[in-house]
Amino acid sequence: MSERNRLRSLGTLVWLNGVVPIRDQPLYILQLLASPLAFLFFIGIVSRGTLIAYGITGGMVLTMLSVGTGLQSDLTHYRTDFKFQDVVVASPVEAPVYVSGMALSELVYSLPALGVFVVLFVVWGFATPFSVAVLIGVLLLCWAFASAIAFTLATYFRDVRETYLFSPLISLSLTVLPPVYYPITSLPAWAQTAAKFSPTTYAAALVQGSVGLLPLTVSGAALDWSVLFAFTVALFLIAAFKARWKEP
Amino acid sequence: MSNAIEARHLRKVYPKSPPGVAALADLSLDVPTGRVYGLIGRNGAGKTTFVRIASTQLAPTSGSLRVLGHSVEGEEREIRSRIACVPQESRPLYFLNVEEVVYLYLKLRGLDPADAKRRTRDVLEELSLVEYRRRPVSRLSGGLRRRAMCAMVLASDAEVLFLDEPTTGLDPIARREVWEAIRRTSRENRTIVLTTHYLDEAEALSTRLALVERGQVLLEGSPADLRGRVRYPYRVVLQGAYPREELEGLGQVSAIEGGYLVFAREAEARELARRALERGIRVSLGPVSLEDIFLDVVGRSIESEETSESPEEPEVEA
Repeated sequence: MSERNRLRSLGTLVWLNGVVPIRDQPLYILQLLASPLAFLFFIGIVSRGTLIAYGITGGMVLTMLSVGTGLQSDLTHYRTDFKFQDVVVASPVEAPVYVSGMALSELVYSLPALGVFVVLFVVWGFATPFSVAVLIGVLLLCWAFASAIAFTLATYFRDVRETYLFSPLISLSLTVLPPVYYPITSLPAWAQTAAKFSPTTYAAALVQGSVGLLPLTVSGAALDWSVLFAFTVALFLIAAFKARWKEP
Repeated sequence: MSNAIEARHLRKVYPKSPPGVAALADLSLDVPTGRVYGLIGRNGAGKTTFVRIASTQLAPTSGSLRVLGHSVEGEEREIRSRIACVPQESRPLYFLNVEEVVYLYLKLRGLDPADAKRRTRDVLEELSLVEYRRRPVSRLSGGLRRRAMCAMVLASDAEVLFLDEPTTGLDPIARREVWEAIRRTSRENRTIVLTTHYLDEAEALSTRLALVERGQVLLEGSPADLRGRVRYPYRVVLQGAYPREELEGLGQVSAIEGGYLVFAREAEARELARRALERGIRVSLGPVSLEDIFLDVVGRSIESEETSESPEEPEVEA
């Protein structure tokens, strides 16, 4: 497949899974706004506004991770109920193009929520060239590793119901237990140690540091970037070698 | 004529199968280029497993399978760029309309928009789907959904098409429209592998056929070849009171509603028909159908399975 054809396939998948379903059912946008904004509302109320800044940065990270949750459900649903993956496997479309296209299509659903958070990010005075650059880098890596996890799992599930089992567990381990919505210092020592095993801990530290919510040192930032990047590469390698494009 | 597909001693044991159970036992066959090749057999005979391996969706356990000269193990990319498949029980994504099902599939394969649009228009006309083109899949009948899936791959530029039970659920008129589209596709020197439970469909479309049972090919050849290889190539239907004892020795006799069905060789069949007419009994004489062959060969295979643990060769004449 030529590069031009790959781009055409990519664009087609974004249109097919990102635009057409919203045209068919616009309420998808409201549903995707609801989850991160609900967290923000909850945190703002409970903390009497003191942690709202964490809610904004955490909401952005959560929005990108929700791409993975949506992707996992869609890939599983299409594979098991429609045999769509079988149709695609027996075609010139390669696995990386399929996953990238589907992952990009999920971004379309996240754009409204991201838009709201970007406005809040600017209104709260967080937007500097440095913080924006960090935010873009972190969100891209979150999107990438969440997509890799989603693809790998989706090729194993036998039914879309199994995603209902795993999605909350993944959300719990990537967004609730790690300090995405609060400073890591709020956690007890054992939980801080456990949080080190989640890539979102490093993503949150970078975003929170870039907007001044946490002290950010050059060495600390370098470590956070390195670990976040290493997690992403590892999850991509797992997807490349363990995801089932062709069934054994 | 070259072969589009060559399978040799293909074996597939699914990872979680009970010990000794193989979906494909030792399957060898050749699919000629530019022809419709029919795969028939009972449920679970191994037809879909073969299609899934040949279309690179599933890895074989052993043996070799080459599609357009490339191995399904290690040369998948070369194969995938030249094939298309309608998997068994597949259906189009519910939120697309019929036109989008075809058009977006073609664009997904990398066709340029103008070509994809032209091919979409043509295939929708050919399969009488124009009036449904803007209708969402969620509001289509099962038959129309299946037709949309067929339209999708028939409109593609693939050289080898795998159609796994493509006309299941279609009404007789729609089935014939799909048949015509398959014939037209085959005339473009494209190869079609067709699995079906409709034996009339297999007979009407296939240049060659393989009858698969328990993961092996029991019979293979053109429909005429298959007729020539069964013990009794003619069927005689007698409607009336014909003495049963006079039928013994002529061939294979079974009672049917109001008479007898006799499978016989040509000379015996003609003689029986003559005698029946002399007695004023209604008679019809003709070559055996594919369904007769299927029931005969598979029936004997089941009998041999029941009497022996090891599969036997079917009783066919060389």
